[in-house]
Amino acid sequence: MSDPIAYEEEALGKAYDSRLLALLWPFVSPYRWQVLLTLLMVVPMFLIEVAPAWIIKSGLDYVYVPDSSTATESPLAAWILDPPFGWSTILWLALLYLAVALLSMLLQFAHMVLMAVTGQSAMRDLRKAVFDKIQSLHLGFFDQYPVGRLVTRTSNDVENVAEMFTAGVVALITDVFKMIGFAVVLFWVNPKLALATFAVVPFLAVASVIFRLRVREAFRAVRVRIARINAYIQENVTGMKVVQLFTREARNMREFDRMNADHRDAWNSSIRFEALLFAAVDTAAGVTTAIIIWYGTGLVEAGVLYQFIDYMRRFFRPMQDLSAKYSVMQSSMASSERIFQLLETPVEVMDVSSEASPVPVPGLEGTVRFENVWFAYQGEDWVLRDLSFEVGAGERVAFVGATGAGKTTIINLLSRLYEVKRGRILVGGVDIRLMSQEDLRRRVATVLQDVFLFNGSVADNISLGRKDLSRSEIEQAAQIVEAHPFIARLPEGYETEVRERGTNFSAGQRQLLSFARAVAHGGEILVLDEATSSIDRETEALIQRGIHTLMEGKTALAIAHRLSTVQDVDRIYVLDQGRLAESGSHDHLMSLGGKYAGLFDLQRHQEVSTESDSALDWSASPVS
Amino acid sequence: MVRSMSAAPVTSAAEMGESPVRHALRRLSVYLRRNGVYYTGWTILTLFYVAAFVAVPILVGWAIEGALSKDVSQSEMTFRFSTLLGVSLVRGVLRFFSRYLVFTAAREVEYEMRNDLFGHLQRLPQSFYFNWRTGDLMSRCVNDLNAVRLMLGPGLLSVVQTPVLFLGVLVAMFVLDPLLALLVIIPYPLFILIARAFGTSLHMRSLEQQVGLANLSNQVQEVVSGISVVKAYAMESEQARRFKDVNEDLYRRVLRLVVVNGAMPAITGLLPAVGMFAVLLVGGSRIHDGHMDVAEFFTFAMYIWELTFPTFIMGWVVALVQRGSAAMQRIDEVLSVEPSIRDHDEVEAVESLRGEVEFRNLHFRYGDESSAVALEDVSLHVPAGSTLGVVGPVGSGKTTLASVIPRLYEVEDGQVFLDGVDVNRLPLGMLRSNIAMVPQDSFLFSLSLAENVAYGLGEDATDEEVAQAAQRAQLTKDIHELPHGFATLVGERGVMLSGGQRQRTALARALALRPSILILDDTLSAVDAATESAIQAELSEVFKGRTVVVVASRVSTVRDCDQIIVMDQGRLVEHGTHASLMAGQGLYARLASEQARSDRANDHPETTEATSPTQESTS
Ligand SMILES: Nc1ncnc2c1ncn2[C@@H]1O[C@H](COP(=O)(O)OP(=O)(O)OP(=O)(O)O)[C@@H](O)[C@H]1O
Ligand SMILES: Nc1ncnc2c1ncn2[C@@H]1O[C@H](COP(=O)(O)OP(=O)(O)OP(=O)(O)O)[C@@H](O)[C@H]1O
Ligand SMILES: [Mg+2]
Repeated sequence: MSDPIAYEEEALGKAYDSRLLALLWPFVSPYRWQVLLTLLMVVPMFLIEVAPAWIIKSGLDYVYVPDSSTATESPLAAWILDPPFGWSTILWLALLYLAVALLSMLLQFAHMVLMAVTGQSAMRDLRKAVFDKIQSLHLGFFDQYPVGRLVTRTSNDVENVAEMFTAGVVALITDVFKMIGFAVVLFWVNPKLALATFAVVPFLAVASVIFRLRVREAFRAVRVRIARINAYIQENVTGMKVVQLFTREARNMREFDRMNADHRDAWNSSIRFEALLFAAVDTAAGVTTAIIIWYGTGLVEAGVLYQFIDYMRRFFRPMQDLSAKYSVMQSSMASSERIFQLLETPVEVMDVSSEASPVPVPGLEGTVRFENVWFAYQGEDWVLRDLSFEVGAGERVAFVGATGAGKTTIINLLSRLYEVKRGRILVGGVDIRLMSQEDLRRRVATVLQDVFLFNGSVADNISLGRKDLSRSEIEQAAQIVEAHPFIARLPEGYETEVRERGTNFSAGQRQLLSFARAVAHGGEILVLDEATSSIDRETEALIQRGIHTLMEGKTALAIAHRLSTVQDVDRIYVLDQGRLAESGSHDHLMSLGGKYAGLFDLQRHQEVSTESDSALDWSASPVS
Repeated sequence: MVRSMSAAPVTSAAEMGESPVRHALRRLSVYLRRNGVYYTGWTILTLFYVAAFVAVPILVGWAIEGALSKDVSQSEMTFRFSTLLGVSLVRGVLRFFSRYLVFTAAREVEYEMRNDLFGHLQRLPQSFYFNWRTGDLMSRCVNDLNAVRLMLGPGLLSVVQTPVLFLGVLVAMFVLDPLLALLVIIPYPLFILIARAFGTSLHMRSLEQQVGLANLSNQVQEVVSGISVVKAYAMESEQARRFKDVNEDLYRRVLRLVVVNGAMPAITGLLPAVGMFAVLLVGGSRIHDGHMDVAEFFTFAMYIWELTFPTFIMGWVVALVQRGSAAMQRIDEVLSVEPSIRDHDEVEAVESLRGEVEFRNLHFRYGDESSAVALEDVSLHVPAGSTLGVVGPVGSGKTTLASVIPRLYEVEDGQVFLDGVDVNRLPLGMLRSNIAMVPQDSFLFSLSLAENVAYGLGEDATDEEVAQAAQRAQLTKDIHELPHGFATLVGERGVMLSGGQRQRTALARALALRPSILILDDTLSAVDAATESAIQAELSEVFKGRTVVVVASRVSTVRDCDQIIVMDQGRLVEHGTHASLMAGQGLYARLASEQARSDRANDHPETTEATSPTQESTS
């Protein structure tokens, strides 16, 4: 079987190349007028590049050399070259030259700013689209996609695409336009000489095609390798405690060095080709200069010679940057491939319509019903098999079972973090696939097994930024789950800063905060997945009391390994390898003498023996 | 006294009264020196390149002069042209090698610096990671390193080469025509003024932009890591709003940078134009007056031409260098953090540990003096080979106490002793390889399950070792059920395993080792009773002959320990064996009895009847 996880950033094929611009268009189209303007500015920019050599040519051919005729080619040219205020023609030409340079500078700057504003605006939109997309994907997606890579998508990859826009597409169009322009002008000035000038172009063309092919491969290799490196750093930084505890530093360093060296070596060929192309164009320009002088003297005047050399160089200049631009294009193409691949990921869990979510069937508010639910995280590896159960409004039920039996999976499905494969789930009598996700999740408050805290204050972590929760409500929630005492002891109380993932709190404290969150958010249905696993018994008992009053009339689903914490619920479901093995009240299950009774006795034996050693007089009766 | 453990980036720069940029550049120079071979080769090539560069316009003038005058022989002309061709070719070849060398060197420096960064990160203690966010660190390892490479590649190439080019050209022009040369060169010193004027704001704005990018990365990082909470609490719109803020902010910062970034080359591009203005004015009149020939004009024009591009590029390069130095500063900030936990200068040559642990009046706080005390006056002796149970309410300091043994956190000298030696004097590598700890949060790597279990073993770990450890942690059954068995990839942090599976994998990882001290921090909290008792049975085997510290929130887990301590708000409040503590009726007895009381409540026959009518809803 092939590996289910696409952890490696494999090189994508050409699939995206042709569609890339089409995919990019929606992000550019709001700014199409700016783009058009940017492109149109190429015309004046080209004309302004033609001007200097023409001015110098005019000087050389008509002004400086004393014996040359003062009659110029055209009336327009004559008019331009005619100095005002009786200035000398030489001064006038020099001033014209300076003015042209100034104008060229202004144009270039305006062009650049316009391009940047347009590009950055489009990229800001693209970044937003990527982020929104990420948030809309179902949880299963995140199992396969490393965090670091998603961060890269929204930051560096989008930047690369912006580069493609500014340094890539626009620059390329500008370059091609200019090259054609100069070629036309050269042919117009003197076709014969122009032909000679372009003698080396075929060689350069071949060189750049070869370059293109080689560098493309090199770039793909580079990208795959840098992605691997970054993922490696990211993961080891987050798990540094384990790295250090298990003294893996030396071995990690060796692994890292290998990846790092691979990456460097992948660059090597691209550097070589880049430098080669650069030097080739340079040499070509030198050789062509010689050709022009050799062939041109006698054929044309000195001024035209100058003009030729100047235009020829301007013609070659873009080719020299071509390598740089091509590199930029390559890396941005790769980036945009990744971005669009992400944007095109099908959203598996989505709201059926934008209409208001259906309201619960009257009389069924607060009920939960699983109907023949089947689920697998991957393919046909069924985690839940044909699971059916029903929880009435205001009932309290518990799920127990060995680790890996599928308890958390039930919760994941109930909140629609994953989509059922077969069967259906009803909340309040409505199929959850018909409800909006937001509505569903507001009805179901969950304490997740994996505690996650955000950067921000303690209060923010309980309210999760919900504005309608007042401070007193937050504190009340904290009171109920016994988090208040330790928060109150903190120097800054509820305003204490929570660091990344809550590392500045103990595991139990983190769990209490995540519990408080669910309590504060309310909802008709409360789901507790191992909500007190890291909490001591004394605190746990206090919490249970608090929850009890809070939950009056509300539906509760709890998962717990400590059977003592769930035995007074209305009903217990015993799960075994994704199937319901037993269900019923604690006493019913005990009387059945099946799995549950076995587990319960075992656990009580552990706990009761704790007590039987004690000198206290209320030691429990031995287990039958 | 309680020692503060701040991991704020204490740069030696501050100590030496050196500015952060200077300090960063000094560090950079170390890398450059290390790659001295490349740079020496490159410098020599550059000199030859400049010679060829200066020669070409002269040769062009020479060729034109020959072509225009009637009295130069054909063979002389051929010679002039072939010289021009030859020198052009040589110039191309030199240019290739000089670019190739300098870019390769930049990659080499990037490679070394990335290695050093990673190696350094591995040496930094936990306290460092409390203060630095992952997104921020990543941004320095990725974006900033990139900026430094650009500074060293195109940046350095231009910064070093262009002045030499100028010098060469200047000399050549002075030989040809001192007055004209002077006029051409006059505007160029302005470059320094322009660079100064723009430099500071470029630097600041580059820094701002990098910070903006880091903020954005952090926001995405956080949402993605906490995606299940984001979804379960329908926080998407709130997060989208926050993202919008950082996104807009980044947009503004980038544009602020771009404006200066673009203005610089545009203005420097004017300098050659001013030079050309002079040539046109003076040169033009001279030709007019017959004092100068056209060929010389060509040579001058060519020089200005050749300088235009490098000058223009210099404008960009200033930005590149500013950005690069800002980035280097940010990298240097990380590299300058001294690992506060490392081998002591006077390290004791201890080969291995027997496992005796002693705390003497241990005080500890996570922050500076103003922060709360995490451990207060803890004294305790754990003989080698004995077991210690640690219980206590939430946040009482159990994990902290366990963590100072492998020196995850910094403690004062004279407070923690292993085998009678101050823990700060023990070689760190030896210390940690003699200790196996199962941290409370079971962090797994996105490797296969087997690789995770073998994480602490060497590269020569055998399948048997892995299988045995998995068996001890009761993982074998699960592994059979997983789609790819031992080869199953567990995903980042082990997301593709259930909570209990993850915890037991982390346990197996520690059990695969043969440590003298084993520390289990609430290792069975997510494990069901049946599995737990099976693991307990295995563990009693493992415990033999080792010092074991068992931290637990459940009293039942520690009752068989040789000694048990009870922590409360950082203090050791009770100490004894299970029996003696139960007799004491203190906190320990309370923690144990709460447990039993809720058990007993349902044990009474009356309650059983009361909660009856059982609904069967299983279909
Ligand atoms: N994201 C996932 N991708 C693939 N498989 C998964 C994923 N999450 C869980 N599983 C697998 O599904 C099975 C059930 O997992 P689940 O988390 O529901 O168990 P659980 O009963 O909650 O266990 P525990 O008590 O250990 O938390 C396990 O075998 C687990 O390996
Ligand atoms: N990195 C940190 N920075 C600041 N304070 C911390 C940090 N880690 C823990 N603390 C604080 O130190 C105290 C002791 O924490 P510790 O993790 O040792 O508790 P614990 O007894 O292990 O609790 P639990 O049973 O919840 O795991 C707590 O009040 C906690 O908030
Ligand atoms: Mg702890």
